[in-house]
Amino acid sequence: MNITTTTYTENDTLPAEEILGASETTATTKETPRPVAKAERIQTIDVVRGFALLGILLMNIPGFGIDNSVHYDVIYGRHNTADYYTMAAIYSFFDGTMRGLFSMLFGAGMVLFTMNKKEVEGGATVAEYYYRRLLWLVLFGLINAYVLLWWGDILFFYGFLGMLLYPFRKAAPKWLVLLGLACFAIGHFKQQAGYVEFREKRIEYVKAVAAEKARVKLTEKQKAAKAEWEEIEKNQKPDAERVNRNVSKMRSGYTTVFAYFVDRNAGFETWLLYHGLWDMISMMFIGMALLRLGFFSNKLSTSTYGMALLIGYGVGIPIGWIFFSKGVANTNIGAYLDAYRVPHWALYDIRRVLLALGHASLIMLIYRSKIVPWFMKVMANVGQMAFTNYLVQSIICTLIFHGYGLDYYNRLKFHQLYYIVGGVWVLQMIYSYIWLRYFRFGPFEWLWRSLTYWKFQPMRLKVRTVE
Amino acid sequence: MGPTTFHQATPDQPLNPMVSTEKNVNLLPRIQPLDVLRAVALLGGLLVSIWLFGGFTNNKQLQLLHNPHGGNYVLYSMIVLLFQGKMLALISLVFGAGMVLYLNLENGKSAQFAADLFIKRQLWLLGFGLLNALLFLWTDDVLFHLAIMGILLFPFVRLSSRGLFIASIVATAIFCGKNYWKYADDKKAYNKYLAVTAYEKKLTRDSTARAQKTVQAKDRKNTAIVPKKDSLSKQQKADKQAWEGTLKNMKYDPKKDDGENKEMQTTSFGDLWSHLLPQTQNHEAQWTFKTGIWDIASMMFLGMALLKFGFFGNRFTRNQYLLFALAGLAAGLLLGWFRLYYNQVTVVDYKKYLLRYWLPYNFFFPLEKLFMAIGYASLVMVMTGLTRLAVIWKALASVGRLALTNYLLQSIICSLFFTGFGMGYFGKFPQYQLYFVVAEIWIVQIVFSVLWLRKFEYGPAEWLWRCLTCMKWMPIKKAATDTNQTVIPSLS
Repeated sequence: MNITTTTYTENDTLPAEEILGASETTATTKETPRPVAKAERIQTIDVVRGFALLGILLMNIPGFGIDNSVHYDVIYGRHNTADYYTMAAIYSFFDGTMRGLFSMLFGAGMVLFTMNKKEVEGGATVAEYYYRRLLWLVLFGLINAYVLLWWGDILFFYGFLGMLLYPFRKAAPKWLVLLGLACFAIGHFKQQAGYVEFREKRIEYVKAVAAEKARVKLTEKQKAAKAEWEEIEKNQKPDAERVNRNVSKMRSGYTTVFAYFVDRNAGFETWLLYHGLWDMISMMFIGMALLRLGFFSNKLSTSTYGMALLIGYGVGIPIGWIFFSKGVANTNIGAYLDAYRVPHWALYDIRRVLLALGHASLIMLIYRSKIVPWFMKVMANVGQMAFTNYLVQSIICTLIFHGYGLDYYNRLKFHQLYYIVGGVWVLQMIYSYIWLRYFRFGPFEWLWRSLTYWKFQPMRLKVRTVE
Repeated sequence: MGPTTFHQATPDQPLNPMVSTEKNVNLLPRIQPLDVLRAVALLGGLLVSIWLFGGFTNNKQLQLLHNPHGGNYVLYSMIVLLFQGKMLALISLVFGAGMVLYLNLENGKSAQFAADLFIKRQLWLLGFGLLNALLFLWTDDVLFHLAIMGILLFPFVRLSSRGLFIASIVATAIFCGKNYWKYADDKKAYNKYLAVTAYEKKLTRDSTARAQKTVQAKDRKNTAIVPKKDSLSKQQKADKQAWEGTLKNMKYDPKKDDGENKEMQTTSFGDLWSHLLPQTQNHEAQWTFKTGIWDIASMMFLGMALLKFGFFGNRFTRNQYLLFALAGLAAGLLLGWFRLYYNQVTVVDYKKYLLRYWLPYNFFFPLEKLFMAIGYASLVMVMTGLTRLAVIWKALASVGRLALTNYLLQSIICSLFFTGFGMGYFGKFPQYQLYFVVAEIWIVQIVFSVLWLRKFEYGPAEWLWRCLTCMKWMPIKKAATDTNQTVIPSLS
């Protein structure tokens, strides 16, 4: 990718832009640091963020609506079904990429936040606002997970991981990319170590079976190894008792679901923050680099975006298909372990980065071509209210699926889930567009801001202010 | 908060043009109570850490709790009362105080500069923590946690001392609540166990069909799913095993330590590493998430509050400090004594305890730590005022200034001494002999620290830390002219 355009430095005057998006259209007073005024927003960042925000529901909807065992049923079932095609499309084209774009834009937003704030003598420092903001984000994440009861919340992790990004905000793009790659490498190393350990069990089993065939008496250790693997193979099939239990819990009243989620959330948060952070933080570093290279702010040449699209999709889609058809859709775990020393999951991140770049470039090119300016405007609105929209997705989907709502948990087929996604998308586009005609930012953005600056922020657009 | 507070100690802002070193030098007291306190925590902490380093395992402690008599028990209970948990509390407290000094918010513009350095420094500390845990094999490392908590509490540093004190109380209360929560879970687990065993009995006694019906109706609340067959469901089995496991963990098992001893005495570093990794990860992830955050936050907040209140700057008279010390220690020891007693009751018969008491034995542990920390801090304020003992405080202050170095050194020494990769003494010493090892290490560290600081400005690890933070070589040698200049909260 040839990068010809400018990189941002601290002195660049860049319009205000923040983590999950929020718009500001009028000037604010200068005395205290506060959401910086702007004449013109970088609309492209909002547009990309809007797409990422809506796209993330593609990946989240199974988590909201069905038990994990449905994946098994679809993959092990007949292949010429709508469910299977849907799953194939989602896994080869979207899985991880929307989350990736979201993480990238979060990293980018962090850079912008610190750049746009001016230090004020005697007041709280920019660093303090930055960290206050993130602590509130952690709290919003906890609310999303424990009050709205969405176990797949990411705000919690973004809040914590953002705290690690701060010292890197001025690093050169080159270093940021290297950091991102290093994080990928660590993640892969951990994953590969886990795979090797798992594969070891299969190898022991194969040895034991071979010995048995050769009529050699098995040692105690070999017997144990054989039994262990057989147990693992048996457990590949979803355990009906566990599934029933999960489904009946999810279809219960609020308190039951809450009690069910407390342990689940805590376990998830602990594990992901400690072991799974590489997935997110790597993309954040790369997003910071891309911002500084001008990628997200529409500063690169059309041919560069075209090239990125070509490479991103051209290489990413085939890899994505291999990843799905050979990896995800594999139905024989034993044969798989025998055949591969490195699992297809090793392709996951490279595919993710390529596809995410492809998606973003495509959006940029459409934006530039001005084919559908009204649609871009709507998507920019969705992106400006990304934080609100993210939380609203939790509210809507939990109310559709959980027992205390419409109780649709595990009642829809896999492909039917995507009708709901479509519905939520349309809804979010419409209310985002309308809301932002009257207000400066989304309701949760406003709340977040007001909490960060510990002062009610003006919300109404035009002359009248809420203050 | 009085501005004088800040001038009594030098914030570690070597590059900060706004801090006039001259002014700070003039106002510098000769002995820093914070340094002494840090040394007390560092050296005292080893008395508890040595259990894990040297193989005085939980199992062996259970043996003493089941049979609470004799000198061995007295020794153990003294360490429990005076040191267990309190030294981490002190370290966190001093760290919190150090944060306020380091960030020195009254410095106007340069506050941003300090904040920048602070975050970098915390990230490097995280690196030191990982090094300590993964290379020096200290599974109970706290640098990792101090690093994270420092960043997490950074936005609170501007609160008033009163606000910080309230924050400390809130964190303490949450910590207590967490302990209670764990206890409530145990209660739930016990009830589930009762339900499952009752079901099991009926299965064997009655005709199966009838039994299922009645119990299904009765136990629907307690057991998730009652399958339509004559054996326990997986969930029921898991419920049963969960409680049995809890009980088993409270029994002394003479054979239990053999496996651990063998693992720790393996001569291969790789094997040792993989054996200890789960423990390390558990301490860094689960422990932090469940209690560590509140444990450390409560004390960091307290440290920040005390510093802003002027506690470490002779805000009170000597008699007042003495009073605080006596009151704090008395309250802490009393709570500690109760905890120890009820811990015995718990391990002897947990079922009975569960049925009888509605609070767990460790419910007030967070408060106990709080009182003891205040007690120790006040005691140090009194004692450092005794000029006749100045030699001792100077020596201790040296240890405190080299806290990071000494902390890492403890890990290195103990790992080499106890694990099979080194000399392999793990599990071979009875409890009291472990304390001789501690005393030896104390002597080594005190002498080393005093001698080192004659020549150098900073300890080796502190120096490296500073270099990394500023990303350039910093001077380490002592400036010839000015001997009093440097009182740096090194593990602050």
